[in-house]
Amino acid sequence: MTRDGIALEADLLGKKYGGRSGRWALRECEFALPAGRVCALVGPNGAGKSTLLALAAGLVRPTEGAIRAPAREQLAYVAQEKPLHPRLTVADTLRMGRELNPGRWNEDAARRVIADELDPRALVHHLSGGQRTRVALALALGKRAELLLLDEPMADLDPLARHQLMGLLMADAAEHGTTVVMSSHILTELEGACDHLLLLHGGRIRLDGPVDELLSAHTLLRGPVGDLAPHTVVESRTTGRQLTALIRRQGPVEGPWETTEPSLEDLLLAHLRTTEGAPA
Amino acid sequence: MSSLALRGPYWVTVRQYRRTLWLAGAAVILALAVIGGLRIWDLQTPDVHVEGGFTHPADDNRGYGTLRMAMEYFSMAMTLLPLLVGAFVAGPLVARELESGTYKLSLTQSTSPARWLGSKLRTATAAALLTTLLLMAAYALGWARVGGSSQLHWSDRGSYEATGTALLGHVLLAVAVGALVGQLIRRTLVAMAVTGGIVGLVLLILGALRWDFLPVTTITGPAVENASVLSMPEDGLIMSQGLISTFGNRLPGWFCFTDGTPVGACRTDEPIAAQYLDYHPQSHFWPTQLIETGIVLALAALALFAAFRVLRARHP
Repeated sequence: MTRDGIALEADLLGKKYGGRSGRWALRECEFALPAGRVCALVGPNGAGKSTLLALAAGLVRPTEGAIRAPAREQLAYVAQEKPLHPRLTVADTLRMGRELNPGRWNEDAARRVIADELDPRALVHHLSGGQRTRVALALALGKRAELLLLDEPMADLDPLARHQLMGLLMADAAEHGTTVVMSSHILTELEGACDHLLLLHGGRIRLDGPVDELLSAHTLLRGPVGDLAPHTVVESRTTGRQLTALIRRQGPVEGPWETTEPSLEDLLLAHLRTTEGAPA
Repeated sequence: MSSLALRGPYWVTVRQYRRTLWLAGAAVILALAVIGGLRIWDLQTPDVHVEGGFTHPADDNRGYGTLRMAMEYFSMAMTLLPLLVGAFVAGPLVARELESGTYKLSLTQSTSPARWLGSKLRTATAAALLTTLLLMAAYALGWARVGGSSQLHWSDRGSYEATGTALLGHVLLAVAVGALVGQLIRRTLVAMAVTGGIVGLVLLILGALRWDFLPVTTITGPAVENASVLSMPEDGLIMSQGLISTFGNRLPGWFCFTDGTPVGACRTDEPIAAQYLDYHPQSHFWPTQLIETGIVLALAALALFAAFRVLRARHP
């Protein structure tokens, strides 16, 4: 169970695969995601994003620490590979959602995702990757969950469908106050949609907080090469005598630099690039 | 198979495996049709009356011959039935969900893992028991005519299982072993093969042991030259027979076909006092069936308990 106002909380959470000599997929994760947020879960391949979502969904047991998420009935999860029963039709799959979630199921919410894009009589087996994503999202939204866990939800969709479904998802979440945790590689799909950020790398959390706070805490500098202390330099590049740097401010920036607030993409790319070679 | 009255995970299971259920139904109809048809064919040729008020099938009764042959194959198929059930439960029902990742879908709906596996197993059990009972009914239809003839003795493998409760027990064991193995080996084909192997092995072992459950009935008689004076009542199952020496030892051997010494009944090396015959009378059929069913059900309960322990350990 979760605390009031917190939708998902991790407490020194760790997960190791493959027994005693296995590999830690996630280590010492600590965060508390307030309810009603749309959280982007970002990180390079193998950072532990899918593991974190599977732990939150209650599919695997943590090796150490704890994760507090809503009960099974109150969360919906879409796994990365969009697993569906291949021998059921689209209509049967929605019926399955109704049968397995008695008292919660909302047919209209599910049908809105399917829209007129899919033949209800089509077997799941014959659907394309994007169409399967649509069915999987319909099942998740039809469940009327408090917490929506989406692992790379938009990866298989064409730009048009991605735009439409993202809009639908955000409108639905806003209307019902649903908390969404969504992992993604596509940074542009997160910009504007997400108000919370969780950056994972090497199984550890590198950045955690509301997007606006993270953005305003960072500054993009351009100007002559110089000492940036006392600020924390996330990433810096020099071209001749010209310096470009992303810093986490410690007090006001004083100096001969031109400062701008970074975009979410600037921030993510800078952190992803600098943590690339960093020890996990 | 009406899916209208089914609710929740039961509806999902039936819908998901509807083709297998249709296949089971088709097998039952085929068995009933073939055995029923052969019995009608057999009726076309009247039996021959022999002295003493007995009758036996006419030599030119091809319907009877075909029915006998069909029943021999049917016996074999019935012993394979638990293997098929076990392979289905282990593979398509359990391991494939784990292998293909659809368990992530099933276990994040509002049903608990125990209810998820439980509903699958209950559906499989109900379907398997019903199919087995109907196949046993078809078997009984043929057995009523050819049971007791050669190769179709009540104690023969296949016939023994298909005419008693043992087969139902083995089918239940197959479901339970499938549930356990399917979870431990999360690969569809491997899980199917391993489960089939385990269920087949239990059938083989119990087939070898089942006539040791009950003590045999022994009859003895005088050792007579060139003749067995021991006639076994009740169409029994002969376990062993031989001679008894004057010291009371049991000796291998039988009455002699050759001329022997007057007292020794063709064993000149031993003084022979009597001959004996150990057998199971047909009245041992049901007690043996019930003991075997009990053993198999105990094993099934263990496997089922382990299956749910594994499920609980893996999924919170």
